[in-house]
Amino acid sequence: MSSLTWIPFWVLFKREVHRFLKVIFQTVVTPLITASLYLLIFGLSLNIEVENVSYLAFLIPGLMMMGCLNNSFQNVSSSIVSSKFSGELEDYKVSVLSHQQIIWAMSFGGVIRGLVVAGVTFLVGQFFYYHSFGSFLSIHSPLLLFFFLVVGGLSFAKMGLSVAILAKNFDHMSAFGIFVITPLIYLGGVFYSLDKLPVFWQSISKANPLLYFINGVRYGVLGVSDVDISSAVVVSLLSLLFFHLAGLFCFKKGSFVRW
Amino acid sequence: MQKPPLVIQHLSKNYGSLKAVSEVSLEIKKGEIYGLLGPNGAGKTSIISCIVGLEKPSSGQIHLFGQEITHNHDRQSKLKIGFVPQEIINHGFFTVDEILGFYSGYFGILNNREKIDSLLKDLQLYEHKDKKVKQLSGGMKRRLLIAKALVHDPSLVILDEPTAGVDVELRNSLWELVKKLKDKGVAILLTTHYLEEAEKLCDRVTVLDRGQVKATGETQGLIQKLTQRWVKIQYKGCVENIEHSYLVSKQKGLLELRIPSSFPIGQLFSELQIKKEDILDLVISEGSLEDVFKFVLHDKGENQNV
Repeated sequence: MSSLTWIPFWVLFKREVHRFLKVIFQTVVTPLITASLYLLIFGLSLNIEVENVSYLAFLIPGLMMMGCLNNSFQNVSSSIVSSKFSGELEDYKVSVLSHQQIIWAMSFGGVIRGLVVAGVTFLVGQFFYYHSFGSFLSIHSPLLLFFFLVVGGLSFAKMGLSVAILAKNFDHMSAFGIFVITPLIYLGGVFYSLDKLPVFWQSISKANPLLYFINGVRYGVLGVSDVDISSAVVVSLLSLLFFHLAGLFCFKKGSFVRW
Repeated sequence: MQKPPLVIQHLSKNYGSLKAVSEVSLEIKKGEIYGLLGPNGAGKTSIISCIVGLEKPSSGQIHLFGQEITHNHDRQSKLKIGFVPQEIINHGFFTVDEILGFYSGYFGILNNREKIDSLLKDLQLYEHKDKKVKQLSGGMKRRLLIAKALVHDPSLVILDEPTAGVDVELRNSLWELVKKLKDKGVAILLTTHYLEEAEKLCDRVTVLDRGQVKATGETQGLIQKLTQRWVKIQYKGCVENIEHSYLVSKQKGLLELRIPSSFPIGQLFSELQIKKEDILDLVISEGSLEDVFKFVLHDKGENQNV
């Protein structure tokens, strides 16, 4: 592998990780506080069981994935939008960085932030779980948990990249967040089990790829899922492929010129 | 024989119905400083954007060291170009040192400490290397842009108004750096509104207006062809009877003449029929690039090539 293949990728990836670590309060601590509030309000106050596990345990993987997806998306989209605003995106265009390198490096940078937030959410969840039940939550399948977090995070990072590169102003970004990302996440089964929904809404929900990501993570932590886990693996990989191709298309059609 | 660093042939760039660049051709040689001059909106930045790959030309061809890059800026061609954009880039979170490290990496260089330190020193940024961009003055930000463009030792450096908003001292130090690059054989394409400096620096220039080439050629050649000399003679004899077609004014013993730069001075004196012992003082002012600029933009519409 030549130095022009891995060095530009590695350095851009490092830059992306550096970028969110420089503002760690905004990028990691804020989502941590949000997750803590959800766990405090819903996890501790609702003393019910879902799919034979406590609601607190049910909530923890959902919040982990919600944090991972949201932060993967935001890391990449905010990096591209701010680079467009500052003119830094033009730097990438005139350097030897290829579209593939930019897409993968920025996506992995976003996933690292997503994994950090998911990890911290898990630790906070463990704190609440221990406080409630006197023991820690054990992880059912670490490998599947990691797979769904990484593949889901990468997919959302690439989605963020595609939207940001096509966006013409800040309004476009916030509109996409409000009208697409938030409904997809909240209707993806973070807070409820699919079998609690009417049959019609169950079939609608099955078209939401987030349902598979979230249930994949829930299976990884708890060993329970609303969807068949092999279907979740396939849907996750197909989503990753789709958003990668979407990213490549948007990079070809979108603009690198500063706002 | 080595191919020229940059050849542009019949380059046009349209934005919708607006013709920003129309049929521009130029060639830059190794170790040459080439000035792209023109008023705002002349198409200078559009040409540069096409060269560095930020914009796609509407028609025409661009060759870099013999390789056509009009629609395909591959990695090897990008490695040869160092680009200093017109606008300041604010890198927000990062320090000068970090930015230069990242930028080296984007060009495939992982450990570039020696080069970065040398650039920081050359551009008087070394003591500011741990500052973020927002903490730098306007001049320092410009120097950072130049340092970024040079981290990978490009063979062609493109500077789009590198001295805009920079004080005289700093401008001079930047031009010294440009001369050093030239001495190393680097080809330099620059745009600037400081015509006096362009005159001193540029081996050749192209003057553009509304996307079209108005004059192109060797800087001194253009000045000689398109400007006139002012000849001022303080004469102690009677000036009333002196007549000449180039005479602009004669009063109180002062003769002012405007002659073509190619017109021999000796011939002028013999035609004026003045005695050299009656000449008290003689001042000859050469034309300047600014005069060329004014001439081709305001006085003559047609293309002037030297």
